Amino acid sequence: MPQNLKSKTGKKNRCIPIIFFITLCFITSSIEAQESYTLSGTIKDIKNGETLFGASVFFKGTSIGVITNEYGFYSITAPKGNYTLIISFVGYNEIKEEIVLDKNQKLDVEVTESSMQLDEVVIKSGQTERVSLRKPEMSVSKLNIKTVKQMPVVLGEVDIIKSIQMLPGVTNNGEGSSGFHVRGGAADQNLVLLDEAIIYNTSHLLGFFSVFNADAIKDIKLYKGGIPARFGGRTSSVLDVRQKDGNNKNFGLTGGIGVISSRLTAEGPLFDDKGSFLVAGRTSYVDLILKAAGEKNTAGFYDLNLKTNYSLNQKNKLFLSGYYGRDNFKFGDNFKSSYGNLSGNLRWNHIFTDKLFSNASIIYSKYDYDLDIVIEKFEWISSINNFNIKYDLKYYASDKFKLDFGISSIYYDFDPGQVRPTSESSAINPLSLDRKKAVESGAYVNAEHKLTDNLTVQYGIRYSTFSRLGGQPIANYANDQPVVYNNTLGIYERGTEIGETIFEKSETIKSYGNFEPRASLAYQLNEYSSIKMGYSRAAQYVHLLSNTTSVTPLDIWTPSGEFIKPQLSNQYALGYFRNFNDKMFSLEVETYYKTTDNRIDYIDGSDLIGQNNIETEILNGESRAYGLEFLLRKNEGKFTGWLSYTLSKSEQRTLGGTAGGPGINNGDWYNTPFDRTHDFSLTAAYQLNEKWNFGANMVFQTGRPITYPNGQYQYEGLSIASYSDRNSDRLPAYHRLDISATYKPNKKPNKRWKGEWVFGIYNLYNQKNAAAISFSQNIETGANEATRTAIFGIVPSIQYNFKF
Amino acid sequence: MKTYLKIILLFSIIHFVSCEDVIDVDVQTAPSRLTIEASLDWEKGTTGNNQTIKLSTSTPYFDTTSNTGVTGASVIVTNTTTGAEFVFEDQNNGTYTTTVFEPILNQSYTLDVIYNGENYTATETLISVPDITEINQSLEDGFDEDLLEVNIIFDDPEEEDNFYLFRFKEVGDRFPVFEDFDDEFVNGNEVRWFYEKEDDDEANTTAFEPGDTVTIDLFGISETYYNYIRILIEQSEGAGLFSTIPVALKGNCINMDNPDNYAHGYFRLTQVERMQYTFE
Repeated sequence: MPQNLKSKTGKKNRCIPIIFFITLCFITSSIEAQESYTLSGTIKDIKNGETLFGASVFFKGTSIGVITNEYGFYSITAPKGNYTLIISFVGYNEIKEEIVLDKNQKLDVEVTESSMQLDEVVIKSGQTERVSLRKPEMSVSKLNIKTVKQMPVVLGEVDIIKSIQMLPGVTNNGEGSSGFHVRGGAADQNLVLLDEAIIYNTSHLLGFFSVFNADAIKDIKLYKGGIPARFGGRTSSVLDVRQKDGNNKNFGLTGGIGVISSRLTAEGPLFDDKGSFLVAGRTSYVDLILKAAGEKNTAGFYDLNLKTNYSLNQKNKLFLSGYYGRDNFKFGDNFKSSYGNLSGNLRWNHIFTDKLFSNASIIYSKYDYDLDIVIEKFEWISSINNFNIKYDLKYYASDKFKLDFGISSIYYDFDPGQVRPTSESSAINPLSLDRKKAVESGAYVNAEHKLTDNLTVQYGIRYSTFSRLGGQPIANYANDQPVVYNNTLGIYERGTEIGETIFEKSETIKSYGNFEPRASLAYQLNEYSSIKMGYSRAAQYVHLLSNTTSVTPLDIWTPSGEFIKPQLSNQYALGYFRNFNDKMFSLEVETYYKTTDNRIDYIDGSDLIGQNNIETEILNGESRAYGLEFLLRKNEGKFTGWLSYTLSKSEQRTLGGTAGGPGINNGDWYNTPFDRTHDFSLTAAYQLNEKWNFGANMVFQTGRPITYPNGQYQYEGLSIASYSDRNSDRLPAYHRLDISATYKPNKKPNKRWKGEWVFGIYNLYNQKNAAAISFSQNIETGANEATRTAIFGIVPSIQYNFKF
Repeated sequence: MKTYLKIILLFSIIHFVSCEDVIDVDVQTAPSRLTIEASLDWEKGTTGNNQTIKLSTSTPYFDTTSNTGVTGASVIVTNTTTGAEFVFEDQNNGTYTTTVFEPILNQSYTLDVIYNGENYTATETLISVPDITEINQSLEDGFDEDLLEVNIIFDDPEEEDNFYLFRFKEVGDRFPVFEDFDDEFVNGNEVRWFYEKEDDDEANTTAFEPGDTVTIDLFGISETYYNYIRILIEQSEGAGLFSTIPVALKGNCINMDNPDNYAHGYFRLTQVERMQYTFE
């Protein structure tokens, strides 16, 4: 292949500009006329010392208050005076404390879990709703792990990813598919973070289990829109999952024994109670069962969570967390496959002053897979690695003004694929696709500003840059067209490669920079209701390549660069929020409109496997999505739960652009695979007595857009299907009902051992939901047939959970 | 080769928990198109003078009409280098034949079909194929160590990109099986390709047994035809959960008078090595 060094001179690597807005941010801080003092501290659970994220800390009778941050920290500044401090958190007893605020002071509070030990929704939710009415935060769903644990799940294993799909605007892609879709977005547009580390694949066993072990998780927050400026890199959503710190009061064991898998978590204090640890492991044993049954094909997974922390002193705390998960498949002796995530994170919390909180993190994460094709004597490996450093600060300037700001930088190393012969006699030649490297950096500042008692605004900006680093060749194409429209045949074809430009390691192949403004406001109409609106812009620099019906673990990530531009999305949202009947019910109604530029789609006949030059398989397009979401919750009483309904549309259009021609689907808008007109779900929990409680889920959603045949013709003695326009048909509607019952035997308050039985039935009425419908010719009769693949029929399960 | 990477997913866990059944589905119906099956295959060791082109029309997907042959069309193939013209005669059953075709390797030919007053045309080059050096049978080289497979061994030429099409048909089977292959990962090496049949009640297939005879065709094909037949083969197997999203496949037969009314099928010219193997 001729090297064409002259065609394009590599640009000199510019230092990635790191922009500090920070100094600007302090200006607004000291505009306080009255004599004010600050109360700050940490809110923890009395039983295990876990810090509480999202607890509300308020002065009674005023609108002065704050929500604790991810590390349980709060800081309130108020005029000198006497106050009643109210601390409330769902599932915990409300605490009242008289405060004489005549100087800056520290107050760490430990709160007690409500005696009933029930789900959060059963307990009076205290002051939290008041806060959510005022806070300009919208399109956000926070789920307590206890709520998640009570929902019925397939095979008894608690599943965070499946439970968020019960929320409005969040859908799955059918059973047997990894990932989830938020507001008509693709699976790769979700930023999934486990203790700040990016998780690239959220499921085990192709979507049957999530990678999150519920026993190790403290809370989950899903941002469907209005993504805070501190997050960047994905256009659709952020799923922020936080691991528990570990019990720092007592040693404890938690575990569960189920049909398919079992798990065990150990936690306890360390270093004279200055720290704690948590180690959680989970493993499936389907493979053993299958082997015992004489099955040659096996599948299994395991994962390990680790967390430890150490308080150096009042102002400094260190956290170390890690995750390792792996799936293994074996198909006879011919194929083996394994894949998984690995992540590690070291964090340092530092409290500068009672008003300034900071956290620095160093994070590593990796996703890789390994296919061993024993039969052909070669293996195929691929990975994505990233190192991430970030520094985030929060300045609690006054009761009316709070400021978040920080910087982050991610270094990516993509290894899209290597083929290695595993034996001398292999007929396969070794092959390495070009490794790709890139740096993504961001700086942000975001203000939460209370303008009046009824009006709070949040405004901020994120500036992100992305540099694709050298050290690899980039192909050059005739007429700069990696894809060319063949006018004669009316199809898109690969462009003609006319050489390549070699970029040295010190060079930058391509750089991008984007301003991402984010703003929202909340206006409280009265004590019960408020309206909120928001706008956010987000850039996404890495893309998951997938041209299959379902996202698979073998899909690879690719960075933006010469040919693939960053995705840019703009989202507008408007919402109405209301509490009824003394907060027994709450209603959230939101509408959104979202556009995304540079959303790639694949030309007909695209071939992504082992493809070094992805640009020859894709066209740049755009997408748009809009919808209306309802969420009605019943927050109190024996019967609790929520009902959600979404009416939405998600479409994309891919024009020919530089490739010429009309584009995909004749340049017309077509449904994305994530379009669901109707999405209805009901989650209910009923507490019968102290021993028994029951749960149920119901789901109904419009079938996934798919491409069906529109005719047949005879060719080479076979009947061949001709297919219609992309995604112009739909699978049948998806619906199912799950139920569960939890039985807690004798409750002896003094006994440390606590056990419970969870009985569940997934898909109670045995609905055969189509995961796929394939069309082919019956080889006996020669007639064309439509064959439905349904993954789960009715699945009963039983699980025993214990705590010691 | 790439197929292997996909297979592992197709057969993995889904295999254990899923169930498959045939259901009724409403599908769209596109207007009928002309289908041109112009496969001019020159079998090694023959003159290649006898050639057949089939014309038919497409039907609704679940239609069971078998006879859709087109009569009254004009079918002409021209060697674009020599200008030699071969007129294919209408047999009034959807086939058009000639007995005087002259195949020349690496030369370009043009097909012209006039049907319903519209002129369809396609151009393609005749591609060569290496000799099969050996055919044998084994147990342990296939997917399943307990089942017989036939192995086809040939040397891939190193100096060029090569594309192949295999056609297997056991004597007595109703339908042939096609497999496509490009030499990307094995360029210049000895290629050993196996074909094994599964014992599968649902798919109504039975494994090879001693005494079974299978016909094997190895075609040398052009890159453009490879791109076409690769998608056709994949789509004809049915689009499962992890298959590529199916597409409206276009061949090389274009309608000069009304481009939107393109024809299904393909005008291909190949050299083919045709063998029979009887299991011992």
